[in-house]
Amino acid sequence: MTGDVQVVAAPATMKGAAEVGGGCHIRSGCGYPSPGLDSFNFRPLFTIGSFQFTKPMLIAVICVIIVIAFFWAAFAKPKLVPRGVQNLGEIGILAVRDQILRPSLGKRGDSYLPFLVALFFYIWVMNLMELIPLFQFPAMSRIGFVWPLVFLVYFLYLYVGFKNQGFPGYIKNMIPWDVPKFVLIILIPIELLRFFVVQPFTLGVRLFANMFAGHLLLLIFTLATWYLATVSVSLLFAAGSFVMVIFVTLLELLIDLLQAFIFTTLTAVYIASSLEAAH
Amino acid sequence: MSSTGKEAVTRVDRRAAAAQGRAQGLDIGWTVFSYLIAGMLAYGAIGWLIGRAVRVALLFPIGMLIGLAISIGFIIYRYGKQGAVDAASPEGDDR
Repeated sequence: MTGDVQVVAAPATMKGAAEVGGGCHIRSGCGYPSPGLDSFNFRPLFTIGSFQFTKPMLIAVICVIIVIAFFWAAFAKPKLVPRGVQNLGEIGILAVRDQILRPSLGKRGDSYLPFLVALFFYIWVMNLMELIPLFQFPAMSRIGFVWPLVFLVYFLYLYVGFKNQGFPGYIKNMIPWDVPKFVLIILIPIELLRFFVVQPFTLGVRLFANMFAGHLLLLIFTLATWYLATVSVSLLFAAGSFVMVIFVTLLELLIDLLQAFIFTTLTAVYIASSLEAAH
Repeated sequence: MSSTGKEAVTRVDRRAAAAQGRAQGLDIGWTVFSYLIAGMLAYGAIGWLIGRAVRVALLFPIGMLIGLAISIGFIIYRYGKQGAVDAASPEGDDR
């Protein structure tokens, strides 16, 4: 790596709806610019050697800074009687503890609280970026941002499982011994595949797919609103599409939180199953 | 303890129970889904391998269907009975 910083193109960070669709309008005769996979690809903001720094990466870095800065501001100088940001920080931490950690792990899982809090807030802020003007992109809709989190969780619960139950014990506890012997032989491949492959795969794909679909929906209706806006009957359709933009935005606001909650809850559940046998 | 205090404790207990129910529901829901996928994948792969060896391509979809049937059977066996959901979750006083 040479270390040269080379600005390649004009910043592609602020891709507005009109720019994504190439400014297509029903009157310009270029057809509806349907969003697709291209809407998830960005020109690099700058390149360092062969490394290309893109908008989703910038969003990920900003989200990390936001989460760290928030908790730093809240707990750098904690007071016995919380005020201001510390209040918010405590509400956030207690919410994760009481709604996510304790129901699955109980009090013995409190040592995992910092990890789960960081995971929850990082995913939530990353998801919320799809609704914040100028950013308007959920980095989690690029699956490359999801897999590191999944691997982190995957290796953590495998490590906890092997440490607490031992390698043979952990594998043994995965098998449902309460079924008849001949069924057991049939079930073993399913059970192993479910645990080692499908479980982490669904954990990642669920988050990615929800963010991907949400962003696509928002793009479709935002572009349609612009595309159909003329002084004619199509204004009605434009208005309908605009209502859908508002509806999908509100829905995404909920889904952003829900996906962060589901990811973190399932992480807690998987860690709990590693701490003790589930069968 | 005053009646207001007792009410507050009950409210906290109820919230904790609801949170536990949510976590358990998520866990079981996704476990069931994982079984369905894993069943199709595992027996689809076995069917595909045997099919490749004996040159019968139909064994791949047949394997997937068998896997799906096994998964559904096991899900019914494990979670289909009344109260089986509670029995499937790990025990503990502090959760």
